[in-house]
Amino acid sequence: MAFETGASPSVQFTPRQRWSVAMTYIVIAVGLALGLNQRDRALNRASVYSNSEAGVTARYPARWLLEESPDFIFRARDMAHRGYHTSIEVSALAAGPDTSERNVLDRLNLRRAQSLVDYAVLGYETYQLPDAAEALAMAYSFVSRESSPFLEGASSVVRGLDILTISRGQALIISFRADAGVYDRELETLRWFIQGLEI
Amino acid sequence: MYDDIRSLNHSDEPDSAHAPIWRPIVFQAAGLAGFTLLLVLAGASISAVAPREFQGETAWALVALPLALWLFLSLRPEFRVARPRRPLLGVAVASALLASAIGLPLLEDFFRVDQWLPLESVVQRLIGYSLTAGMIDACLKFLALRYIVYPQSFRQRGDAVVYAFAGALGYSLVMSLMSIARIQPTWDTAAITLLTHFTAQVASSLFIALGLAESCFGDAYPLTLPLHVVAAALFTGLALTLAGGLQSGTLTTAGAFDRPLFALGALVAVLFLCLSLTYFLYNNSERREREAYPGGGRDGI
Repeated sequence: MAFETGASPSVQFTPRQRWSVAMTYIVIAVGLALGLNQRDRALNRASVYSNSEAGVTARYPARWLLEESPDFIFRARDMAHRGYHTSIEVSALAAGPDTSERNVLDRLNLRRAQSLVDYAVLGYETYQLPDAAEALAMAYSFVSRESSPFLEGASSVVRGLDILTISRGQALIISFRADAGVYDRELETLRWFIQGLEI
Repeated sequence: MYDDIRSLNHSDEPDSAHAPIWRPIVFQAAGLAGFTLLLVLAGASISAVAPREFQGETAWALVALPLALWLFLSLRPEFRVARPRRPLLGVAVASALLASAIGLPLLEDFFRVDQWLPLESVVQRLIGYSLTAGMIDACLKFLALRYIVYPQSFRQRGDAVVYAFAGALGYSLVMSLMSIARIQPTWDTAAITLLTHFTAQVASSLFIALGLAESCFGDAYPLTLPLHVVAAALFTGLALTLAGGLQSGTLTTAGAFDRPLFALGALVAVLFLCLSLTYFLYNNSERREREAYPGGGRDGI
């Protein structure tokens, strides 16, 4: 037989009950703070990429996938992200003494307009690099589809930001791309990446 | 003075005045585990009958099963007894709303567990899921119980268990719906997802219920309730870690294949462990109280 009260118990707490509820809130708050700390440590864990030939040293999120290719110096992608994988790509193009940043970006625009679906430039602005140098930034968007035609899924809108600076006869382009839904949030990763970039 | 109050509040009503406590919970857990096993075993056969696309689009309907079981086994008997637990549905709905409005956004947008936890080691995953998903779930379900039923609707120790189970069901319903709507799995994977959320939430809620009951009826030490909440978070972490880790097969040259039977086995083990442990602790508390106050129960103040 279960023990039961004849009437509903009083809503008055005993001092112990009051303390136990208060301590429960404290324990939950401490637990969540520890969880936040673990999240920050995992998300901010970095690996270092160094390429002496290109003169680039960078830190990138350790959980991202690093790739090298003849088309770019290196690219890091967040493969754990569903949908379009957020990526940061660093590439270099030869630039003559008369080449302006705008020339390089226009060339990129022409190439991308042929290969990316619904490619559109959203605007240009100056971007302050950590060493106080000024670079030109170009925002753009396009529509991305799964690379395999056998995989089903809706297309997603991708937003990108190219940061371009010309030095020592080469144009260095940092391309950041992310799903439009998470773009603003992921921009923090780009800023963190640029802080640790040595060129 | 408390002893006088206890003897005055002793109820002479038979147990049939209340709906049963543990039996519906065990039947629902067994029913859901059995249904999952059936779908997992019949996975290949089902795919032959129902195309994968069709399964993906209709998998969300499986969420109705735990809800139907709860309505039939837990809620319906409340209408047939002399002293029903009236706020039962309210606790379930409030927990579901809290999961949808606060729990999911916190987990997905703030803690972003999907981005970093699956890549961690097993121990880190266990700690991580306990400190994020476990703590958030325990906190929200505790809030629902605290402000709807605790302590004014607690008339006996078992009330805490029944209300907490209702909260677990409401919470797991939303989590399952969101998971299934997002990944559109086949029916066997959807059943595993359902069982994962059910196990994680029920295990967590039962420990919260024990803590609340001890605090309410045993006037336990102030640390008792927080320690039960920590245990609740740990069990949520355990269920999520085991289910996720065991279901993903190792990568071979032939590709990677899911191992739903492994996940099912682990979830059933967690469910069995948590039900046995909480039932043992519950009975132990009841027995201690019975021995301490042979004339009747205490009033929950």
